[in-house]
Amino acid sequence: MKRSAVVIFPGRGTYAKDELGYLSRFHADKADFIAGVDQWRQDNGRVRVSELDAAETYAASRHATSLNASALIYTCALADYASINANAFEIAAVCGNSLGWYLTLAAAGALDPAGAVRLVDTMGALMEEKGVGGQLIYPFVAENWRASAANTKAISNALHDGKTAGEAYLSIRLGGMAVLAGDEAGMAAMEKALPQAEGRYPFRLARHAAFHTPLLSHVSDAAFGALPQDLFSAPKVPMIDGRGAIWTPRASDVAKLYQYTLGSQITETYDFSKSVEVAIKEFAPDVLILAGPGSTLGAPIAQELIRHRWLGLEDKAQFSARQKANPFLLAMGREDQRALVV
Amino acid sequence: MAGAIGAASDGFLARLKKGQLPAPLSAATINDAGLSPSALSGLFESQLTCRALDLEARRLGAEKRGFYSIGSAGHEGNAALAHALRVNDMAFLHYRSGAFLIERARAVPGETPIWNMALSFVASSEDPISGGRHKVLGSKSLFIPPQTSTIASHLPKAMGAAFSISLAKSQRRDDAPLAHDGVVYCSFGDASANHSTAQGAINAAALAAYRGLPLPLIFACEDNGIGISVKTPEGWIAANFSARPGLAYVYGDGRDIVDAVRAGKEAARIARHRRRPVFLHLCAVRLMGHAGSDIESGYRERAEIDREADEDPLLHTARRVSETLGVSAGDIETLYAGIGARVRRAMEAACDRPKLTTSSQVVAPVTPARTLRATRPGRLVEGAPDDARARAETQHMSRLISLTLAEEMANDRAVAVFGEDVGRKGGVYGATTRLQQKFGPGRVFDTLLDEQSILGLALGMAHNGFLPVPEIQFLAYLHNAEDQLRGEAATLSFFSKGQYANPMVVRIAGLAYQKGFGGHFHNDNSLAVLRDIPGLVLAAPSSGSEAVRILRECFRLARSEQRVVVFLEPIALYGTKDLIVEGDGAMTAVFDDLSGRAPFGAVNLIGDGDDLAIITYANGTFLSQRALNWLKPEGVNARIIDLRWLAPLPMDSIVTALEGCKKILIVDECRKTGSPSEEIIACLNERGLDAEIKRIASDDCFIPLGPAANAVLVSEDDIANAVRAMLGLSNKRAAE
Repeated sequence: MKRSAVVIFPGRGTYAKDELGYLSRFHADKADFIAGVDQWRQDNGRVRVSELDAAETYAASRHATSLNASALIYTCALADYASINANAFEIAAVCGNSLGWYLTLAAAGALDPAGAVRLVDTMGALMEEKGVGGQLIYPFVAENWRASAANTKAISNALHDGKTAGEAYLSIRLGGMAVLAGDEAGMAAMEKALPQAEGRYPFRLARHAAFHTPLLSHVSDAAFGALPQDLFSAPKVPMIDGRGAIWTPRASDVAKLYQYTLGSQITETYDFSKSVEVAIKEFAPDVLILAGPGSTLGAPIAQELIRHRWLGLEDKAQFSARQKANPFLLAMGREDQRALVV
Repeated sequence: MAGAIGAASDGFLARLKKGQLPAPLSAATINDAGLSPSALSGLFESQLTCRALDLEARRLGAEKRGFYSIGSAGHEGNAALAHALRVNDMAFLHYRSGAFLIERARAVPGETPIWNMALSFVASSEDPISGGRHKVLGSKSLFIPPQTSTIASHLPKAMGAAFSISLAKSQRRDDAPLAHDGVVYCSFGDASANHSTAQGAINAAALAAYRGLPLPLIFACEDNGIGISVKTPEGWIAANFSARPGLAYVYGDGRDIVDAVRAGKEAARIARHRRRPVFLHLCAVRLMGHAGSDIESGYRERAEIDREADEDPLLHTARRVSETLGVSAGDIETLYAGIGARVRRAMEAACDRPKLTTSSQVVAPVTPARTLRATRPGRLVEGAPDDARARAETQHMSRLISLTLAEEMANDRAVAVFGEDVGRKGGVYGATTRLQQKFGPGRVFDTLLDEQSILGLALGMAHNGFLPVPEIQFLAYLHNAEDQLRGEAATLSFFSKGQYANPMVVRIAGLAYQKGFGGHFHNDNSLAVLRDIPGLVLAAPSSGSEAVRILRECFRLARSEQRVVVFLEPIALYGTKDLIVEGDGAMTAVFDDLSGRAPFGAVNLIGDGDDLAIITYANGTFLSQRALNWLKPEGVNARIIDLRWLAPLPMDSIVTALEGCKKILIVDECRKTGSPSEEIIACLNERGLDAEIKRIASDDCFIPLGPAANAVLVSEDDIANAVRAMLGLSNKRAAE
């Protein structure tokens, strides 16, 4: 009997040094799909993803730019999605984080492959050209991944200071992490306000703009100008968006989907935590599958599971033990867990 | 032929597989109803989800893992009403409204209706609305205060909430929870429509509309033609409600989702734009029996059960989806199977979630959460009479009560006073004198003669941020309406895990000893009905000054602790001026001299004698003071513990006040059975008090007319004689 699964797509920053060669390593059998992406990018004056993936060395200046990173992640993630063993898993729903929403649309068939590449590329280009401000991350949770009232308070204070100094917003609720965004004045004030935690937070994300905030409303306007509604169609698999709304195949209003994707999805908080909450509660899947590349989104997902004491998990140690014994979260970016999925 | 729908045989699926879709019930198209194809599909998914939950609830019930099996099967057409209304239109739902809740949740991103309902079926403490206390349909974020299955008892408060919308608008209360252009929705079955509570609420709404008052309310009667096993006469609902003055009537076929949407939109249009109450008569069928324990075949022919199942609303929507959207039966089966699997997984996962295990966990929300309620001063009517002189002069209790009410109304514009004769007349005993002249008819108004409606009005207004002060004219009149306090007001915090509260101060004139106005119904002294309601506070003053201080505390309890408070005003003391001798004025007071409140849980200690302590309240305090005065020449040096708070009893304060006394006399002016003295004795014994305890109470009798009343009520002589007996003094009066 098939196991039910919700597939989760990663966001920016998940194709890093270790992921170089991901396509050739895992997706030699998807040459047509990759060629399709390459062709579109070549036709539009972009570097081919296969070329980027086959580079001898990883260079952040090349691989981590908005345009290239998003295309690489799209290609790897969708190839991973196609690799899921259809005889073993029934896909109950799909969702993702930030850029992962575009991949969700693609996986669910709300965009055809050409439309998906176009959307991902257009948004990548707009971010590169018009992106302003930055993002930083700071944990809501303590090192054991349980909620920390002190951290939550610190984040709230930082947002207050950021708003006083400039622009500051909660950009993404990312499980146990807060992704905060703002203009330079806001960012500086938030960095100053946040106490050092775990030796690395607050951590500013390189090459990231103030995604999911009103600072990018001009990007939203430009996206509506650049992308027509007829790129979108109803999904073939239920999708969960960055507010926790469920889009089912027949009950989805395509006009609203278009408005959300290019509108409030860009200018308002992306609530990835809520997506995961809705995924586990409303679909109660047997497993969660995290598509690659990378597996860094695994921690926020686990933190959200712990927040809801899903499967009785109450902290990081219990989650790790469960993963060892009978993994609930299968990250395709990890070779051991990938083997359980493909 | 597929059998009736049940956990074992899913009649919908069986008929779908055979292509046995029912004939159309209406020629209306989705365009006629203003429905988009995706909206029709969404409604269908809500209906299918609701059915899957019902079937799973039955399965878990049979396995003793689920605890509630009254379902919505056959009533899934009510999803249309959620579609026709706004999310913030407050909805008081009856127990077959699962599809309504699911459809409304679908409109709000991030809602998890399947999971939440699964938690409620298995009584998990994580159920977000009741915390595992009851299977209720409710949600704070969806504007659905929780309801259980009491019959139509939620209709009066729906009427009250609807009434409050225009009141809030006219008072420019922008902080009101309900939108000024909002509609209130309530639903019930055809059998419940006959209940006096339903009839009262519908009558009250219609009367208000007849008077030209705005009342944006939809009474949705989901008519499945049967109440448990008793059939409703054919045509009765339409005959009963289609031609009522003040009440619009709209009919829709709830089996056909398109017609239900059409009717729902029409009802919403009338309620929202014409601000009128609407009776929405929605046809339904009842599938799967009344509840899981109901053996329907015991009172219904098999053929009839099958005929009902043939008209399953899900089959009608399947036909609509198939014909309008071109969806094949196979695709519908796949959709249904997918939803069913989802629901089953959620239900299984929910079974593992924690449950309430201790009494303290269960009991916690009986007392609502404390709240910081911002108050804004109330505005006086232009040219309103000035109370300055009245406040500076000696006044008796009823006038002091009206001055306290005026003080509260001036301090807090949320306070509204209403009841029979409280407006222009100022109350039968003058306890609301001049309030209407001061604060206007929007905040002080007369109601119709129906206590269920008066209390329902209070409940509904409290849902919209008012602090209602309903008056029940006489204690005996409460009894026909007490479920509004017992089953509704007091349970709201409990069933909503403290998320909803309906704070109020209910004023009731009562107790005996009136001179010249006798008879049971104006002298009722039965308090039991108010003393066993968890969470409810009952207070009774014993003098004018006590009335002021206790009433202020009652307002604080309602305002800051969201409590339901009953302030019982002893009618016989309303106009009493003197305590011992004519002209002593000891029962009166000057309002301006009275500062502060009488703290909740603290008794009023009168005197400090050690010979004996009398525990009493209200008229009993008055009579005891008089009796002890007569006993002074006999050397009696006693104290009186005036309870003030009759529920919950201030036991700690009583025990402290008893220190140094070895003899305790409880003087209970109410009946021996069911009155406070019973609990006081029990508690004192439980605490192992080293003292002699005696009690005198009135007889277990109704109050007769004229002087005969004295024969059954505790008297001053009874008290004096009991004191003498306990102190070993001779019974002088008796001897004389």
